[in-house]
Amino acid sequence: MIELNYEHRQAGHCESGVTSNMLNYHKLSISEPMVFGIGAGLFFSYLPFLKMQHAPVTSFRVWPGMIFDRTTKVLGIKTKIYRFKNPIKSMNKLDEVLAQGLPVGLQVGTYHLPFFPPEYRMHYNMHNMVVYGKKNDRYLISDTVVEERVDISYEDLMRVRFAKGTFAPRGRMYYPLAVPSTVDLKPAIIKGIRKTANNMVGVPFPLIGTKGIRYLANQMRKWPEKLGEEKASYYLGQVLRMEEEIGTAGAGFRFIYGAFLDEAGIVLKQDWIREVALEMGEAANHWRKFSYLGSRNCKKRAKPEESYDMLGDMLMECAGKEEKIFRRLARIR
Amino acid sequence: METSAEITNTVYKNKDYGQYRELLYSYNENGNFEKTVGYHGEPDRVVLEQSWDLFNERTEEARQKVLSGKASPIVYYMEKILADPLGLSMMAGVSYWKVKLHFKPAFFKRLSNKTLAKYAEAFNISVDELKNFKQ
Repeated sequence: MIELNYEHRQAGHCESGVTSNMLNYHKLSISEPMVFGIGAGLFFSYLPFLKMQHAPVTSFRVWPGMIFDRTTKVLGIKTKIYRFKNPIKSMNKLDEVLAQGLPVGLQVGTYHLPFFPPEYRMHYNMHNMVVYGKKNDRYLISDTVVEERVDISYEDLMRVRFAKGTFAPRGRMYYPLAVPSTVDLKPAIIKGIRKTANNMVGVPFPLIGTKGIRYLANQMRKWPEKLGEEKASYYLGQVLRMEEEIGTAGAGFRFIYGAFLDEAGIVLKQDWIREVALEMGEAANHWRKFSYLGSRNCKKRAKPEESYDMLGDMLMECAGKEEKIFRRLARIR
Repeated sequence: METSAEITNTVYKNKDYGQYRELLYSYNENGNFEKTVGYHGEPDRVVLEQSWDLFNERTEEARQKVLSGKASPIVYYMEKILADPLGLSMMAGVSYWKVKLHFKPAFFKRLSNKTLAKYAEAFNISVDELKNFKQ
């Protein structure tokens, strides 16, 4: 029976929340937005050739696993990452690491997770949570989506760790090994901001970053004629669903990033970053307005002027605002 | 934070939905970013309900097709677990083009018990249930 003294804090985004909570356990106090920013979590990509739940994939953040990898690498923290073929072996390894007194982060599929909010229970294999103990053959779990601490049985845990399908987790488990007691955040923040700015405005590929937002806006205008009213509405719903992902309050992680810039300005003692943070907040509110009007479209309660053309215009505005922000951030020293 | 009156949602048809509180970030007029714990908002509910509507519709459509003999039970169970053909092929360990073939009743009838067991495991049902479709 093991129960580590692990602090469970709810978070807006599963991976940055897990990383921040785990580093906090190792006496490195770092907030969730900070992890999100240093790990360069903000992103945009629209992939019309890849279908998820019968509609094209739109993503508002980087590939799963990257936030943890980047944050720990930039901060100079030693980590251990495992993947397994054999489920039994993976569970034994988990017990072994727990016995050493380390909480373990796991990548799991959400479909069979018993405590997950049922409205989100779809085939999504990139969720993250932390195991911090074992009591009466049940594993103690801290899931940043759920308010309270939860637990799960051995069989269920094995099942979600080896969920099948696209992006199968294959028992991926990860944890920080040695964390230095003091870390210099400044170079890490600058690196993170540069990386994000490059991702958003520096990649010469039309489907990524602000170019991707513009591309999506132009495509969106054509949806009603090309796909018909029903399908267009569902495609729009998919974009919004990605934007509304758990805890982001309808702005596709823009609020978390704004909070990070706010904090970064204080740490770096550069006032202009705080100004940019306010601009980011405005942009985030614009995204939120977009998702509000878009959802009226999905409900078929839109006024005639709230058509796909108007939504496309709104997206163009979002892209313009973000381009301005990241062109400015790219010059950070 | 949203008031408790808003929990009695009008958007979701399933009453279990929308009962969990989440951490939400927001930006207010004073230029501050803040964290609140609350229920997710109306737009979120609308788009989630839309996708559940689509899933339920597709499942119902598949059920009618199976009953009228136009599709094999695999189609129905696939829609029931919210998978698509590619996802199902990964879950069951059957190659994609074979999965597509097994959607046709003629090919489904010729399936061996071994392959049926693979599908049954992916759907979390018994082989008998898969063979004798009664829904």
